Amino acid sequence: MYEIDMLFKGFANLANDPVTLLLALIGVMLGIVIGVLPGLTATLGVAILLPFTFGMDPLSGILMISGVFFGGIYGGSITAILLKIPGTPAAAATAMDGYALTQKGKAGLALGTATFSSCIGGTLSVFMLIFLSPLLAQFALEFSAAETFALAIFGLSIITSVSGDSLIKGLIAGFAGLLLSTVGLDPMSAFPRFTGGFTALFNVPFVPVMIGLFAASEAFKSLGEEQTRHELKVFIGRVIPPWSEFRGLIVTILRSSGLGIIVGIIPGAGADVASFVAYNEAKRFSKNPENFGKGELKAVAACESGANSCTGGDLLPMLTLGIPGDAVTAIMLGALTMQGLQPGPLLFKEHASLVFTLFAGMLFCYVALLVVGLSSLRLMGKVLEMPRSVLSPMILALSVVGAYAINNSMFDVGLMLLVGVVGFFMQRWEYPPSPVVLALIMGPMAESNFRRALSLSGGSFDFLYTRPITAGLLLIAIITLLVPVLQRRIHIGK
Amino acid sequence: MNPKKLVSRLLTVLCGSVLLYWTAAYAADYPTRQIELVVVTQAGGGTDLLARTFADVAKKYLPQPIGVVNKPGGGGAVGYTEIAASRPDGYRIGVGNVEISMLPHMGVARFTAEDFTPIAMLNVEPGAITVKEDAPWKTVEEFLSYAKDNPGKVRVGNSGTGGIWHLAAAALEDKTGVKFNHIPYDGANPAVVALLGGHIEAVTVSPAEVVNHVRGGKLRILGIMADQRSKGFDEVPTLKENGIDVTISTWRGIVVPKGTPKNVVDVLIDATRKTANDQSFRDALVKLNMTWHYAEAPQYQEVINRDNAFFKALMGKLGIAK
Repeated sequence: MYEIDMLFKGFANLANDPVTLLLALIGVMLGIVIGVLPGLTATLGVAILLPFTFGMDPLSGILMISGVFFGGIYGGSITAILLKIPGTPAAAATAMDGYALTQKGKAGLALGTATFSSCIGGTLSVFMLIFLSPLLAQFALEFSAAETFALAIFGLSIITSVSGDSLIKGLIAGFAGLLLSTVGLDPMSAFPRFTGGFTALFNVPFVPVMIGLFAASEAFKSLGEEQTRHELKVFIGRVIPPWSEFRGLIVTILRSSGLGIIVGIIPGAGADVASFVAYNEAKRFSKNPENFGKGELKAVAACESGANSCTGGDLLPMLTLGIPGDAVTAIMLGALTMQGLQPGPLLFKEHASLVFTLFAGMLFCYVALLVVGLSSLRLMGKVLEMPRSVLSPMILALSVVGAYAINNSMFDVGLMLLVGVVGFFMQRWEYPPSPVVLALIMGPMAESNFRRALSLSGGSFDFLYTRPITAGLLLIAIITLLVPVLQRRIHIGK
Repeated sequence: MNPKKLVSRLLTVLCGSVLLYWTAAYAADYPTRQIELVVVTQAGGGTDLLARTFADVAKKYLPQPIGVVNKPGGGGAVGYTEIAASRPDGYRIGVGNVEISMLPHMGVARFTAEDFTPIAMLNVEPGAITVKEDAPWKTVEEFLSYAKDNPGKVRVGNSGTGGIWHLAAAALEDKTGVKFNHIPYDGANPAVVALLGGHIEAVTVSPAEVVNHVRGGKLRILGIMADQRSKGFDEVPTLKENGIDVTISTWRGIVVPKGTPKNVVDVLIDATRKTANDQSFRDALVKLNMTWHYAEAPQYQEVINRDNAFFKALMGKLGIAK
């Protein structure tokens, strides 16, 4: 087969180019560090790195950027699992069960599973990129505002599965998040809403809110706990998941990777959407959905393979059509053009050797990610051996830095602390934070695309049922919303 | 790059900067520490990449490095407010886009175009009318006459309500009497994707933002909203050639807060002139699909004043102005 042949040639090219491999490895390591630090996202890492790649040859430059991209998405999960600080928005879903596993003393297992799932998801998505690109490219263009709106509604329906024990409390938190997401400039008319005169509120600063809800609230909580229990240390445990555990995860990882790839291909939807969708579907297919949210390994595997398989999906329309689906691929598009390579159908024909060497390099990046990840986990796990009285102030300090770093704004720090206090009380009264984060991701996406779709159709609501993808997604959303309610009914009926 | 070449290049840069350090240190005290270059968009956008390239090249011409700081939010309102309000000592400078002559009229900003002192303009991109390659319109006249016959039917994508490309389409409506259905997207790129997917009929973004797809045979530029034809698109007529007097462009340059001392401004003007004319900067812009357009401070000021008055009038007419 042509692709396999070219891929082997690509590996051969790479093997003769150790400097490129080294740069890719450095990229992955940098990416992991950036991902671990809250407030530093893959986008930021790629943007900062870009000028340094100008002087490199195209292959090294693009591979290094890919490494940062992949590492950044994965790195976010480490702090999410260990400390409940999602390093990136995509890791917010991982934090739910990952941190619960840490509290059970299974941090190593969670981290190892996250690493393996990330690597498998990412690798699968690169293979999809190699073999199915021309087939799937057109799918990206099918997505207009109506389809994206339906996807966002489906995303919102996931609130039912991240709500924890009380559906009502989850819905309350979700609606609070939706209300919050209306703050800022109106997406269609650019009119400021509920900003109270603060220009900083023109766009809801999403990352500070997330850090406040998850990390700062956790730090506040431990401030209120007795500080004498120094002996209560959590250890990391074994890092490589035993085969008996892992075997049960394979189906989940494969399913989540497939979902992640599809979400990645859709323009405007990225790793954050993918990880929540993967979580939802893992729960839907699980025999014990009640374990989700309380430290289910499958949840971690689903979120991480979903988020990382999104990378290949993101790259697909960028490479084949020259349309970037999100900020990271937009920068990579810039990087490619700067190197004199015009992405598009011709790229695969005119620069086939380079493109397949690049794919080989991406596969190398994911192997590197697995090795670097697994070998550094024990070191990172040392964090847990620190007494809480030392750790909590450090979490708070990291939260402050992270909230500041995303927009370089002190306003965001204040907001993060305020949300942290709110999150503290939410935790005390058992309101889950994930629905808020989900609503903040999906709310603006749903609103702007609904109104855009209305304006595209000239004010007619037909788009809700005449477009197959839209109608299908809306139907799945309704099912997702109704099933838990009906299940409860039946339960009570018995 | 082979290691020897890398080392020699690094040494050249090092020696060069040491030499320059001494010459510049004699010229003035400024700058004695790192200069912050504020970018009002998120990391990774066109303006951000321009700023990072500029900062990179400017290392050769300034004794202190320039660090890029992103202050996104409110379509630029957050960042510009911050630049305008910062101490005028030359240690916090900004990339001034066309938005500084637009945002103040929308009632969402706490600055005016007069709050900035221009240093130099680096880049200009005109607006353009772009349609799909398989669209029935081959010329601007055909497109506009269709739009005239079907008021409100032609969906034109832009980069956001009140943004430069929305105003470009609005100015076209104003001059020709047609009525478009404006569809705002979160930036130029999503609008172009929607056009590629056939969900809208046209976009009014710059040629640079569609160039890849025009070369790939997916999109067609009908007309450019500039006084002269654009380099690289020599076969595409301007709207003026078609008798439609609409010229709208976005521009990017370096600005400082008003009241910055003259010796500081002079150092910056000098360094910016050298940076902008450096071949590596010009090459980088070409690769970023941006049009290099250097203009000295007085001409830059003229452009700011002209656009400030133009957008005030246009936005007033459109009912966007407050």
